[in-house]
Amino acid sequence: MQWSGPMPKHVAFIMDGNRRFARKKKLERHDGHMQGFNKLAETLRWCKHLNIPEVTVYAFSIENFKRSKEEVDGLLDLARQKFERLLEEQENLEKHGVCIRVLGDLNMLPLDLQQVIAKAVVMTKNHNKCFLNVCFAYTSRYEITNAVREMAWGVEQGLIKASDVSEALLSECLYSNNSPNPDLLIRTSGEVRLSDFLLWQTSHSCLVFQSVLWPEYSFWNLCEAIVQYQLNHKSIQKARELHREEQALQQLEADCACIAEHLQHQGNGKPADAQRRQEALQHYTVTREERVQDFLQALKHKRDTFFTNLCSETVLT
Amino acid sequence: MALLYGLIWRLLLALVRIKRATVSWLRVRLRTWKGRFWQRTMAALLLPVPVSEFKQKKAGADQSSDGDRDGKGAGSRRSRWISDGISLEKLPVHIGLVVAEEELSYTDIANMVVWCMAVGVSYVSVYDHHGIFQKNNSWLQEEIVRQQHNLLGGDDSTFNMELLKNGTDKPQHFVVSCRPVVKVLSPEDGKHSIVQAARKLCHSVEKKEWSSKDISVSMLDVLLRESKNIPDPELVVKFGPVNSTLGFLPWHIRLTEFVSLPSHKNVSYEDLFGSLQRYSACHQRLGQ
Repeated sequence: MQWSGPMPKHVAFIMDGNRRFARKKKLERHDGHMQGFNKLAETLRWCKHLNIPEVTVYAFSIENFKRSKEEVDGLLDLARQKFERLLEEQENLEKHGVCIRVLGDLNMLPLDLQQVIAKAVVMTKNHNKCFLNVCFAYTSRYEITNAVREMAWGVEQGLIKASDVSEALLSECLYSNNSPNPDLLIRTSGEVRLSDFLLWQTSHSCLVFQSVLWPEYSFWNLCEAIVQYQLNHKSIQKARELHREEQALQQLEADCACIAEHLQHQGNGKPADAQRRQEALQHYTVTREERVQDFLQALKHKRDTFFTNLCSETVLT
Repeated sequence: MALLYGLIWRLLLALVRIKRATVSWLRVRLRTWKGRFWQRTMAALLLPVPVSEFKQKKAGADQSSDGDRDGKGAGSRRSRWISDGISLEKLPVHIGLVVAEEELSYTDIANMVVWCMAVGVSYVSVYDHHGIFQKNNSWLQEEIVRQQHNLLGGDDSTFNMELLKNGTDKPQHFVVSCRPVVKVLSPEDGKHSIVQAARKLCHSVEKKEWSSKDISVSMLDVLLRESKNIPDPELVVKFGPVNSTLGFLPWHIRLTEFVSLPSHKNVSYEDLFGSLQRYSACHQRLGQ
């Protein structure tokens, strides 16, 4: 359905307000979270109808481990149930082409939950009609740090050089590297902060803060947010373009600096002519890009192996 | 049915566009008329857009152009602002002023910097995603000094600001200092700084000074603060119709509260103080 103006292709949600909803309706906290989950399922259906192919949700922050043991266990149990339920829906997920990814520091979770998550991820990894990214045991700072760690690993393995580190490469090392950046980020319950969610990826996204509590989220709330996105679209696109140009310039400068150093060593103090510099730059850029591609392949293999190992552990136990 | 939904959608979008155009028109009118009726109309139209409460501009509150140089006036304004700051339950240590508008007004930004300092905020950063403020850093600094003199009178000693130049801060610069600090930022201080820190860490790994497993959140955080010691902003006041951070300090804004004002042009002290009140009232659960 082509509406007026572009539709966002990737929407991220901070589903806030479950506990306040429970207090308001005099329910148990756990019931609030259950309602929140049901609302997520409903919202995914709306997004499918609106042809929004990718959704990312903030399900559990690393900071949430600070909550009471009872609540944390309850949330992890809920996750366990829902992921196990997903595994039973294999046919449906295949029919609708739903790819499920889980982003976060998963080794912070109990092993059995890691295993059930791994099964869901591996089972749906080749689906490509719509994408659900669940941020679980996640914070943006941990994600960015992990990306830096992966690049450092690449350097240790001799796959890339430290000088290859760039904004584009860091983005490719994030947990979310298979997704485009979110076009729209929605936070419910009236809070007006990002709470360590997708800080890198949403630098040029449309941010919409809505006061409705998550379990009370309606289709019209979603439409309201999309209208905001459409109104902001042109200016944000312009800003994104500007940033992309700056990025390209910075990469060019970095490459030039590298070859300048290299030519200095080779030339024994004699300055290289413009043509030689140009050839050296082109050659350097090509070899750098090849190096980076090999590294990213190795990283992908490392990540896939993490999940398949978890799956095979389940089989053994 | 799809046609009907499409029509309804187009109508909704048209209504919002008309509302925005009317608000812009009224804003221009307000600058010239400054009548109560227009203030109330604008307030009504601006709701429920997330802005601070539109308070009536008090007579003589237009300090930016009149510049009451009378020491007594400046003194009473200063004590009023100090008591306003004290009256708040909490005050941010660092406020980010993010200007998401094409045309920039140095005088208005300078006013806001001075008001922030006067109220007791110790670190104010100014940002636009083109990096124009940073390119014209000295011009902005001059304007801030000029407005400080206009608004606070001749005695500058209480608010002896430190206007940091671009480039690296000296390592021994402490965040919590007696003198308020003004910093002009650009997108380079955002993702680009994170990339530079990452490159440094990878160089250390290349030289076998560290292993990749040693890299932690606190390590990256410390490295980021080493070159540019910017504290996390507790509050960002964003000016303009664009609902985005536009690349402002991604690492630092993890817990930042965002308040939007329609424009930085002709913004009043009351508008800014409204944002501070809003910040003061918010409650962060920090994951719990």
